[in-house]
Amino acid sequence: MESTPIITKETKNRLVVDYEGKLSFKERLLRKLKTSNTWIKVLINIFRFIFMLGVSYVIIYPFISKIANSFMTVGDIVDTTVIFIPKNFTTEIYRYIFTENHYLEAFFNTVLLSLMCAIIQTFIAAIVGYGIAKFKFKGNKIVSAFVIITMVIPHSALELALIQHFTNFDIFQVISWNYPSILELITGGPLKLQGTFWPMAILSFCGLGFKNGLYIYMMRQFFKGVPDELEESAYVDGSGVFRTFFQIILPLSVPMMITIFLFAFSWQWTDGFYTEIFFMNQDTVRLMPDVYQNIPKSLATDFSGTTLYNSVIRNTAGLMIIAPLLVVYLFCQKYLVQGIERSGLVG
Amino acid sequence: MKFPKLSNLPKLKLKAASLDARKARSGYLFVLPFLIGILAIYLPILLDSVWFSFNDLKYSADGISLVPVGFEYYQLAFKTETFTTALLNSLQTLLFQVPAILIFSLFIAVILNQKMLGRAMFRAIFFVPVIISTGLMDTISMMDVSQDMVDSSMEGVMSGTGQEGSSSAGDLFSAMDVAVLLNYLPIGASMVEFVVQLVNSVFDIVNYSGVQMLIFLAGLQSISPSIYEACQIEGATAWETFWKVTFPMISPMILVNAFYTIIDSFTRDTSEVMQFISGYVATGGASMRTAMSWIYFLIVFLIIAVVGGILSSFIFYQRRD
Repeated sequence: MESTPIITKETKNRLVVDYEGKLSFKERLLRKLKTSNTWIKVLINIFRFIFMLGVSYVIIYPFISKIANSFMTVGDIVDTTVIFIPKNFTTEIYRYIFTENHYLEAFFNTVLLSLMCAIIQTFIAAIVGYGIAKFKFKGNKIVSAFVIITMVIPHSALELALIQHFTNFDIFQVISWNYPSILELITGGPLKLQGTFWPMAILSFCGLGFKNGLYIYMMRQFFKGVPDELEESAYVDGSGVFRTFFQIILPLSVPMMITIFLFAFSWQWTDGFYTEIFFMNQDTVRLMPDVYQNIPKSLATDFSGTTLYNSVIRNTAGLMIIAPLLVVYLFCQKYLVQGIERSGLVG
Repeated sequence: MKFPKLSNLPKLKLKAASLDARKARSGYLFVLPFLIGILAIYLPILLDSVWFSFNDLKYSADGISLVPVGFEYYQLAFKTETFTTALLNSLQTLLFQVPAILIFSLFIAVILNQKMLGRAMFRAIFFVPVIISTGLMDTISMMDVSQDMVDSSMEGVMSGTGQEGSSSAGDLFSAMDVAVLLNYLPIGASMVEFVVQLVNSVFDIVNYSGVQMLIFLAGLQSISPSIYEACQIEGATAWETFWKVTFPMISPMILVNAFYTIIDSFTRDTSEVMQFISGYVATGGASMRTAMSWIYFLIVFLIIAVVGGILSSFIFYQRRD
């Protein structure tokens, strides 16, 4: 029989309820184990843990196998008896990718480009997202629609026109192929932006870079969740729109901005589309996606397993491209989940 | 009881309107960068691109010249059988993958939202695909596959199981393993193929649902705990709680994720049509590629409109105020 809980008054505002009465810890444990509910809970926990472990394995497995392969020699890769642990341990693939594919050069260029793009894009996404979310100006709906449109139109549709526009860049020329415009009269010809960071900077600054529609949309959803009263009280206290934004709203949205920064940085890092368009000549500006495209000459082989070996080399290059990202991710992943949690992305 | 004087009312209204107008003006300032981008860069590029698809491109020393051809390339695209089959295949994969990704990511998000052993670790692992989801690794493995195809067509089908086993290093299991495993069971060859396909697309589904998981997790976090508390007090089981509370509350996220998944799986570089388009070099060349891209875009847009129309009638919006 359950004994009635003993209630004692400890202080003026505090009651202490002793539910268990005189039962010992062992007794309580036994009683708990007797109910079927506990067992079901334990079973569910175990099942859930194993399931998650399994899915994690699915995600991690390709990395493990690629890392294992990257330390093998040609002989080991063709040898079917070698699984995961290389017989002849070697780091030659890494070494040659470093030296012959100009890894370091590509690394620093990409760091510069990605940092620039990510910072600009995060900031612009915040501004534009705030504008769309909180102000009811004429054409708000149209601007929002364009944000969605930039997300939906596949970029391959725009490839040719993008190249055209940025090899002969001229912001005043609306249709690109026939008449001279104001800029041409001033500078004596359209600007050649091919092979510089400018196209990416301009696109980022206009919120048109890689997946920027998504960032603006996320920011908009975040700001929709910020209560209007916050700004209204700031306005009442005499703060202007911009001061309110920079001093009150922006600090509030730091977790979300870190999330978007992480997205922008890592997606720009591995992007092959825009970099291929704007940096056609690999020798002028070397970027990360160029690293995996060539097989280092010293690693070229004539064995029957060439295809396999080349694929291992390419995958190793891919790993080396991703490795810095994973390091950044390890430090930032706490913020990633946090930012998303606070965003309240509910439409 | 005193009523406010009528003469005061228009004054008040005027003041409110002017504040709104001021606010609206600053709204323009906030979206100004994007507006400039749309007007000065995006729309011209868009129009150019549409215009290119109606023209024949001729490359010459001083840039390109255009010869108008009307709808020729659009008609040609529909007559190209490889293109239409690629389109149909893409639609088929979409039909299978979108629901699978949605269900899987919701399931995982619900689990990641519960308190459990090693939750922080699992979260870190599950969001790795988000970081690398632009498909660099996919592109690399695509290069491998095309290289394999070139090689095998040149040398005939090479013997050696080792090659087959590990060339698909990206696959979770090689097709061989599964086939061998299933050969001992009394089922037909087509069934084996289906299971192999399923297993390989499980890998895709897990890797493509990172962002969706994140969005679902955010949605789950935004559900007020007091609702769950009320459910517990009323004696609802976890199953009931999920279908009566979590599911309706998360339904706006399902719409967002459905959109995102459709857009993502259509425009990702590894999708069959995108590959076909970017690899197309036959008649028409660049103009043809653009024309096909626009056809593709219109189809995607249509699908999104249909899916949005269907889903949005099932969605439950919580009144926030």
